[in-house]
Amino acid sequence: MFKRIVYEDWATIVPIISFIATAGVFFIATIRALCLPRHRCDQLASIPLSKTPDEP
Amino acid sequence: MPTTSITYDDKTVRRFMTASIFWGIIGMLVGVLAATQLSWWQMNGKFLEMLSFGLLKSEGLSYITFGRIRPLHTNAVIFAFVGNMVFAGVYYSTQRLCRVRTASDWLSRIHFWGWQLIIVGAAVTLPAGLTRGKEYAELIWPLNIGVVVIWVIFGVNFFWTLAKRNERSLYVSLWFYIATIVTIAMLYVVNHLSLPTSLVHSYPIFGGVQDGLVQWWYGHNAVAFFLTTPILGIMYYFLPKAADRPVYSYRLSIIHFWALVFIYIWAGPHHLLNTSLPQWLQTLGMLFSLMLWAPSWAGMLNGLLTLRGAWDKLRTDPVIKFFATAVTFYGMATFEGPLLSIRAVNALSHYTDWTIGHVHSGALGWNGFMAAGMFYWLAPRLWKTKLWSTTLANMHFWIGLVGILLYVAAMWVAGITQGLMLSETNPGGATLKYEFVETLRSINIHYALRAFGGTLYLVGFLLGAVNIYMTARSGKATDDTVEVEIMVTGKKHRMTLKEAFSGDPVIYLVLSHLFMVLWFFLPPHADKAALLVAIGLGIKGVIVFRANPGSWATYFSRLIENHLPFTILIFITAAVGGVVQIIPSLLVNRAANVEDRVQEIYTPLELAGRDIYVAEGCYNCHSQMIRTLVPDVLRYGPGPTEGYSRLGESIYDHPYQWGSKRTGPDLSREGGALVTGSTVMRLGKRDNLWHFNHLIDPRQTSPGSNMPPYAFLFEAKADVKSLPGKIAAQSTLGVPWPAMTKDAIEQSARDQGFEIATALVKAGAFLPGKPDLSPELLRRELAETEGVALIAYLQKIGAYHTVGKPALKPAPALDPDATRATTR
Repeated sequence: MFKRIVYEDWATIVPIISFIATAGVFFIATIRALCLPRHRCDQLASIPLSKTPDEP
Repeated sequence: MPTTSITYDDKTVRRFMTASIFWGIIGMLVGVLAATQLSWWQMNGKFLEMLSFGLLKSEGLSYITFGRIRPLHTNAVIFAFVGNMVFAGVYYSTQRLCRVRTASDWLSRIHFWGWQLIIVGAAVTLPAGLTRGKEYAELIWPLNIGVVVIWVIFGVNFFWTLAKRNERSLYVSLWFYIATIVTIAMLYVVNHLSLPTSLVHSYPIFGGVQDGLVQWWYGHNAVAFFLTTPILGIMYYFLPKAADRPVYSYRLSIIHFWALVFIYIWAGPHHLLNTSLPQWLQTLGMLFSLMLWAPSWAGMLNGLLTLRGAWDKLRTDPVIKFFATAVTFYGMATFEGPLLSIRAVNALSHYTDWTIGHVHSGALGWNGFMAAGMFYWLAPRLWKTKLWSTTLANMHFWIGLVGILLYVAAMWVAGITQGLMLSETNPGGATLKYEFVETLRSINIHYALRAFGGTLYLVGFLLGAVNIYMTARSGKATDDTVEVEIMVTGKKHRMTLKEAFSGDPVIYLVLSHLFMVLWFFLPPHADKAALLVAIGLGIKGVIVFRANPGSWATYFSRLIENHLPFTILIFITAAVGGVVQIIPSLLVNRAANVEDRVQEIYTPLELAGRDIYVAEGCYNCHSQMIRTLVPDVLRYGPGPTEGYSRLGESIYDHPYQWGSKRTGPDLSREGGALVTGSTVMRLGKRDNLWHFNHLIDPRQTSPGSNMPPYAFLFEAKADVKSLPGKIAAQSTLGVPWPAMTKDAIEQSARDQGFEIATALVKAGAFLPGKPDLSPELLRRELAETEGVALIAYLQKIGAYHTVGKPALKPAPALDPDATRATTR
């Protein structure tokens, strides 16, 4: 039987697991961002700006 | 490098942009009408009588009551105005970021016309009272299928374009578009799972708390993935273009993207704080909403700082003006959102207009101004001319800004005032100080200010529409033709799915998390071993990374060059939150998941009444959830056994009707017990005649009420014929209806209607339009009406029977002395 009392147990576990999972994704994304070489960063950031003759 | 000449498909962009402006005006106009209805009930149809000098006699026009047109307003603004704006931005920027024409003109055309057809369908069905009764998910099931088909066509066209691209790497904007397409598809399909009972009616397959959870998982993420992520993609493309400089920090955009996509989906339960939603879900909703502060502000700062060195343009360029203000509003709304998700703040703000103000600072400020900035930037380029009038654009900006500020400030004050008044008690704290209607009267002036602010915003937008129209007229619709280098993709550039999912970052992340989860669930000692393995994997990951940092960077660089594995990773990232929240809630045994109360099954006529309640959009003003808060319980749930709403009290409700705002009081305890001697008729807080008079003229029974008159409900016959099919559908969904034949169902509905009509006539009810009817004729006239069916439902709301109480958990020790007392 799945009563409210069982839900309360979830309250202590799931948010912690979820928080750790989020921290993990955030950590990996940060490493990925920091590892990106400067010149590559600049190159990727300027994709919208280059070679587009769309001035009115 | 070989090159080729391509012509972009800008016709589709022009079409979507024009449609967005058109539907934007309609949506805002309906919004202004809805806003005025809250201050002046006559705006629900009576005003037509005044306008036509009495030619059109009407106490209230069913098609434009607040309950019906609020969904029309929200759907028009979200899906028609912002939706078309997003498609315009996506089609324009994707072609340029991929340096290729959209894959299929044919699919683009189907997408455009199909989407407009759905909007027209919504504009016809919603005022007609055809709805699923869930916020931002009101469209009837055939339109739902239409949305899914058109969305898939859009997705196919988009990914096909990515596959044909001449640019190796996917730019940030495209990441956000991908996240939008896959996540909205997932959310929309799950929340719209329904069992049809006719061409225009269906029941959601989820009921009660499950329906509430799924609804707000969808509703919150409609804001996240329809109103935020695609606009962020647009920001990352159009802001650098307008400022003529690259995005401030590409690295920050990576962190911003992954954090936002992963966190946002978890935050839905913050819409159900302090309700009977399980505590662990409420905690998750609050926790993740607070964490959203970081990525949201990362995006805002990245956008604003892209303007570094270009701030002087703020004075002269209306595009920059709109963009900078929009991003600022994004920052403000995403500061306010987590704030409102804090349980204590939410106790005050929820069910009040503070939330409405919050939503509109996002919709008017962030979405509306981003749309305006993008249109002003696009129009001269799409029609190869200059903007018709910079002065007019500036006027649009200032009128719109004043409109937003008036609107939002009015709603802040109204919301906080109402929240405080609703919870204020008399000295002693045992009774409440104000009646609900008193709180409503106190904020009437703010409602009027809101309508004025909204009107100003609409006026500004109209000026923008004129400006764009004149710009288009002064130029010529021309598609850009450019020379691009053809991208040759070798084997070394391709990343297979196996490579993508066996890359070091993914492996170490998944494994370490898996063992971290096992740490929680394994028995003693095994859990410690799991923790050690998790830590070991973390350390090993760091060692691998330090040994070859380049390979990790290469992995991600290759990932953003390969859209398929990238898309699958995004989908998994976004789906995790939904899976963790929804699967446990769906797997539980529903009948046992009731705490100590189980809802009474409706009679056929009560079900018919409930369907009318849903169709009239009563949930737009009346909640059916007494929160676990003292003021809520004092106001709506007095009595030693009643208190706050329990899970089981709405367990068979398809759809759930917990509501999200209260312009009228909560109705959870409106219903009551059976009348002595009757097997069906009930008597709740108020008698049948009170409900009858309240529906005919709400101000007769509740002076100061702004509720529309529902006299028309006593002119239409309740749909009894469809009840057998509806009951069969509900039985399929697990509602334990007793076995009944088709004839028995219809007869039961007629008998109960007749019994209520008899009671009404005996109590002295009369129809204003037909005061001379004999009692017998009046009884026959009333017995089969929608109004009587609705009264039957209102007298049943919240009826439950108690079941065996769960074993009481020992009260937690609140202080050390208490612990000592129990352990001695």
